Amino acid sequence: MAAIKKTSSRMTSQRVLTANSALTRRLGVAIASLPAYHNAQADAPPAFSEIGIRYSHYDEDALPESNLIFGSRNRYDIDVTQLWFETPVGGSWSVAMDLQNDSMSGASPWFVGTNLDGQPGVIMSGASIHDNRVEVGVTTRYFWADGNAGFNVSQSKEDDYEARSVSFDVAWNSDDNSRTWTASASSSNDTVQPVKENIPVFIDREDIDTQSTYFGVSQILSSTAIARIGLGYTISKGYLSDPYKLNDSRPDRHERFTLSGGYRHYFIEQRGALQVDYRYYHDDWGTNSHTAELAWHQEIKQHSLKPYIRYYRQSRADFFQSIADVSQPFFADDYRLSAYDATTIGLHGFYQLDDWRFEAQVERYTTSATGSISSFDKAPALVDFWRGTVGITWRFD
Amino acid sequence: MKRYFLAVLVTTLSAGCSSIEPVAAWERGYLAKDAMQWEAFPREGRFAGHVYTSKEASSGGSKAAGGGCGCN
Repeated sequence: MAAIKKTSSRMTSQRVLTANSALTRRLGVAIASLPAYHNAQADAPPAFSEIGIRYSHYDEDALPESNLIFGSRNRYDIDVTQLWFETPVGGSWSVAMDLQNDSMSGASPWFVGTNLDGQPGVIMSGASIHDNRVEVGVTTRYFWADGNAGFNVSQSKEDDYEARSVSFDVAWNSDDNSRTWTASASSSNDTVQPVKENIPVFIDREDIDTQSTYFGVSQILSSTAIARIGLGYTISKGYLSDPYKLNDSRPDRHERFTLSGGYRHYFIEQRGALQVDYRYYHDDWGTNSHTAELAWHQEIKQHSLKPYIRYYRQSRADFFQSIADVSQPFFADDYRLSAYDATTIGLHGFYQLDDWRFEAQVERYTTSATGSISSFDKAPALVDFWRGTVGITWRFD
Repeated sequence: MKRYFLAVLVTTLSAGCSSIEPVAAWERGYLAKDAMQWEAFPREGRFAGHVYTSKEASSGGSKAAGGGCGCN
C-alpha cells in the first residue's frame, strides 16, 4: 500500500485514476483499501527504509525596553536537531527510532513587579541560562488487514528535567474503509530537579505524573474530501508550578479537555488542497482556548509549497494576575497563563529529487494581550518568535 | 464536561456520517496525496506541537500527550 501511495502521490491531475483505466484495473483493489486515516499510515509496513535529519532554529524577540525593570532583555534561542530512522521489519511490522537534541540559551522572566510609572514590568532571570535537552524515542508498529497499532517508549533528559513516557495507539477501519477510528493512550512520569545557579529556587526534587487519552474518527466524504473529529483528555498530578518563577503556586492537579476537528479538500484544477483544523481546549484552571489553522498545499510537479496561518486565543487561568497576589492559595504571573491572542504565519515547502526530499520552513509567531481585558491582567512578558527549519530525507530499499 | 464532549461527538457523527455515499476504489487517488494527509510531515508536526505547547496554556488535540519538558 505504501508503494501505491507513493505512486499515486506522483500522479498528475491528468493521470488520475478513472474507472476504466488500465492502472485502475491493476491497482483498484489495493486502493480501495485506502483508509480514512488519522495519519499517513497504511495497513502495511512502509515499502522503503527512511533516514532523515532536520535542523531548526528558534529565536525569541528581545523583551521591549519599556517592559523591563531589571535583567537581560535577551530571551531564548534554541538550536534543534532531529534525526530519525524508520524501516519495515518482516511483512507486518515497522520500527522507527527518533533522536532530538535541543541546545538552549537565554534568559526568562523571573517575576513581574511595578515600575516607576506604576505599570507592571518584568524582572528577568539575570545571566543567560544554558541547557541541553536530549530526547530518544522508539516506536514499533504492527499492521493487519483492517488497521494498525503502535507502541512508543521515549525518554527526555535535560539538566533540570527528566521525562519518561510510554504510549499506545490503534487505528481500525470500517468494512468499506471509508471510516477510520483511532484511539491512543499515554503515561508519563516526569522529574523536575531545578539547577540552583542564577536565581533562588525552593525545591530540590519533585515529580509529575501525566495520563492522556485521545479518541477520534475520520471519514472520507467524497473522492476529494475527508474530515475528522476527536476528543482528548489529559490529567497531571504532582508539582505543576514553575520552580524558576518567584511568584508561582499552582494546584497539584490539572485536567485538560480538547475537542478538535479537521477537513481536507483537494482541488483538481488547481492541483492543491485546502487544509482546515480547529481545536477547542478547556481546563480546570479556568483557561479556555480556540486554535484555528488554515493552509493551502500547492503541488508544483513532484514538489510542494504550503503557506499557512494559525490563530490562537486563550483566556487567563483563574489564579493569574500580571502582578501575582501572593496572599491567595494559588497565584502566578507567568505570561503563558494570561489572556492573549497569537497569530502564526508560515511557509513550508519540499523539493523531491528521486529518493531524496529537501525540506524548508519558516514561521513568525506574534502575540498581543486580549483587548477586552484590563491593564491589570495584561502580561508584560508575552513572547514573539521566529522559527526556521531545513531538512533532508533519504528513502532506500 | 467529559459527558458534554462525548455527546457532541456522538451527535455529530450520527448526523453527519449516515448519509455519506461510499467512495469507489478508483476514486481514491487524490485522497492518497501528501496534500490530503492530516500530518504529511510527522516530525515537523511533533516539533511545532512541542513549541506551541511550551509557550501556550493549551496542549493536545490530535493524540495522547507525551512527556513534558522544563521549558521556560
